[in-house]
Amino acid sequence: MKEPIISFKNFSFRYNAQKNPTLHDIDLDIYPGEKILILGASGSGKSTLCNCINGLIPFSYEGEITGTCTVNGIETSSASIFKLSDSVGTVLQDTDAQFVGLSVGEDIAFSMENDMIPRAEMLPVIEKNASMVGMQNFIDHVPFNLSGGQKQKVAIAGVFGNDVEILIFDEPLAALDPQMGMTAVELIDDISKETGKTVIIIEHRLEDVLHRPVDRIILMAGGCIVADMSPDDLLRSSLLSEYGIREPLYLTAMKYAGCSLEGNRNLCDLASLEFTPENEEKLKAFFTEEREAVKENTNEPVVTFKDVSYSYDRGKKVLQDINFEIKRGERIAIIGRNGAGKSTAAKLLCGIIRPDSGTITLEGTDTSKLSVKEIGEKVGYVMQDPNTMIVKDIIKEEVGMALGFRDIPQEEADRRVNNALETCGLYRMRNWPVDSISYGQKKRVTVASMMALEPDVFVLDEPTAGQDFRSYTDIMEFVNTLNRDYGKTILFITHDMHLAIENTDRAIVFSDGELIASDKVFSVLADPDIISRASLKQTSLYNLAIKLGLEPESTIRHFIEYEREVKAHE
Amino acid sequence: MNNKLVINYIPGPTMLHKLTGFTKVFLFAVMSAAIISTFDIRLLVPLLIINIIEIISMKPDYKPIVIMFTITFFTVTLLGNIMLFFVSPGVGLTNVGAEHVIWRLNDRLYLSKEFLWYIFVFFIKRTASFASVIAFALATTPSEFASGLNKCGLNYKVCTIVSLAYRTIPDIANDFINIRNSMMMRGVELSKKASIGKRLKNTVLILVPLIFTAFGKVGSIANAMDLRGYGKHSKRTWYAEHEKTKWDPVIRALTVLLLALTLYYIIRYRIIDPYPVDYWCPWVAREEIQKVNSLDTLFILKWIRKLKGE
Repeated sequence: MKEPIISFKNFSFRYNAQKNPTLHDIDLDIYPGEKILILGASGSGKSTLCNCINGLIPFSYEGEITGTCTVNGIETSSASIFKLSDSVGTVLQDTDAQFVGLSVGEDIAFSMENDMIPRAEMLPVIEKNASMVGMQNFIDHVPFNLSGGQKQKVAIAGVFGNDVEILIFDEPLAALDPQMGMTAVELIDDISKETGKTVIIIEHRLEDVLHRPVDRIILMAGGCIVADMSPDDLLRSSLLSEYGIREPLYLTAMKYAGCSLEGNRNLCDLASLEFTPENEEKLKAFFTEEREAVKENTNEPVVTFKDVSYSYDRGKKVLQDINFEIKRGERIAIIGRNGAGKSTAAKLLCGIIRPDSGTITLEGTDTSKLSVKEIGEKVGYVMQDPNTMIVKDIIKEEVGMALGFRDIPQEEADRRVNNALETCGLYRMRNWPVDSISYGQKKRVTVASMMALEPDVFVLDEPTAGQDFRSYTDIMEFVNTLNRDYGKTILFITHDMHLAIENTDRAIVFSDGELIASDKVFSVLADPDIISRASLKQTSLYNLAIKLGLEPESTIRHFIEYEREVKAHE
Repeated sequence: MNNKLVINYIPGPTMLHKLTGFTKVFLFAVMSAAIISTFDIRLLVPLLIINIIEIISMKPDYKPIVIMFTITFFTVTLLGNIMLFFVSPGVGLTNVGAEHVIWRLNDRLYLSKEFLWYIFVFFIKRTASFASVIAFALATTPSEFASGLNKCGLNYKVCTIVSLAYRTIPDIANDFINIRNSMMMRGVELSKKASIGKRLKNTVLILVPLIFTAFGKVGSIANAMDLRGYGKHSKRTWYAEHEKTKWDPVIRALTVLLLALTLYYIIRYRIIDPYPVDYWCPWVAREEIQKVNSLDTLFILKWIRKLKGE
């Protein structure tokens, strides 16, 4: 038996600022060369656990440690973070903040600079590490023009600067679009295979990580390890739903079809999964049975783009002849890779920028006649990070702020604020300070502050980015209420395929400034060409359909329709 | 982005761009010292010309430079001098040492040849400093600036702050624009429709979330740096401090020469045989210079004295 490279023994940790320990009685051995996934919802302690390994605890976050944690023979509670940084490399979640250098080369060199390695010796190492992650042609590039995925690659090359034994990836998928995320998972796997280093991935997006195999999954909840098992065993168990982790879509489909998960080999990898004959039958029957089609939305259009073009400065066109219509009460996913034009389209809709040519009509009015402020009364734009929108201390003041800038009688303003608070489920908390509420609740506050202006259309920019399954469900249930009960039209700017599948009726897809699709979500997701141009990723439903020899489009449609029915009955 | 801020993140192609950070920082430091130390137009004009040649040699985009120059010209030079004229028309006498009045309204308000000379020299001095700052900003990437400062003996932690600040400027600018947009939609008026006072007040509203998001990032950056061994040793090496080009020794030698000249000038004309006033002027001979206490020319004092009947 090999010696473990990381070993927790009866380990507990309590942050100084907190009353109760964040980690309880952790007993965990990780062996050299293993590839481990640490899975858990937000607040489960998974990030704290990894900070114990890389030395940020107790170096940067002080607290009380009981028990022992040994990493590569070093007892972490007494070792310096610098000693640990020689054996542990950590790639953080925020791809932008961890980019310290002002060029790719400089960032990769950062740890070598700190080790006082002469520049001449750095250069070949930078070259080698950059080509390992495929960034060798970007050495002189500045961070501002790189995508999230490229920044992450640089971060990976950077931790290789001091030739570490253990690599930790803290939520590597959080800031990436689906295609980049897939590439990242592949890259991590290649590195783990080629170098034989110990790899620890911390994530809550199970399906995406399982795109490539992992040796073991450690499931965490409430600061404890609740499971330490092989991926197959975990998927077969009921632990995922119990602890708020989203299961892979194909598994959901199997459950809908009434399949038993016992007896299927390679459950964690759809490509090599072997269905029992019985399950195969059940799935085929499920996906081909007749189902009532979702009825078409026949309302009048609220938003119309007609031949809209836009370019920043005199340069390249950012949007070219865009035409689309959105009907009242629709839920739309606006999809496309970064820079494809989806944010520009949203800005045009909100009047922050104006089209070079073409017209945008909002509820029958040409928006060129309206000011940004007036458009703001028809379209509520909710930014990705609620912290960038909130300016007041008290929830009620924040929600009422926009009304204060308009000549609205006090009585009417109060009515609207109370209404908005009520609708968003915040009335009870109206006098609470904004600091005291959770991320999801802050999201509600930002929606409520738009709601006070009583717009009919909401644009939500990545509403669930970086959120775990529970928070995701919470936010989406809330948004769906707005749509269902209050008839609001909702536009999601998103990369999240789950969001598009479960919560939208139609997808508008941008690529290189053109609108390449405006169709039902299942049709878009069944079109490989659109998928690659929009930097999406084939959903596992698509692959499942291919595997079963079914038609992908109707398979995905069946799934969506069945899911809506299930949801409607809940 | 680079052009708007006159900050170069990518090293340019010309000879000055390619110098090492140390050479550029050294040149800039000596150049600044030289410009600061003198009010003598016989030195300021050559220094200004050197800096203008430097700027031209780098073939920059002139638009932002011209904009910045125009703004400073109108605010500092024009406005400042008009105010100076009303407050203290006698600065010519105190600084140049003579007074040839061209036009006189009364005791208090008059225009002298020396006043014009004074503001002209001051303008040249200010323009020379402006040109040297622009030349340095154009030639140096923030990383080179940091590594150059460190080579000059400054603690590397201070130097990293410099490069980190530059690293975050574009991000903060981006956040600012996003937050401003969302505020505008909520009805915060930031366009020219609102009065300046209101716009200022509304801009403060944007700063609240801006500051909070910026602070949020500080923690991640600090962690990222700790994890990669920042602060491990008392020294560090710099990727940005590259090998010397063949021009580096030449420029360094010239810089040393400039330093020597500046020192010589200071010692010769300000210590050993000090010139009676700060401003040399072609039509004022040394023997004619009158030394006047600068306070005496302030009109408020003159006025008070008059009231007292002195």
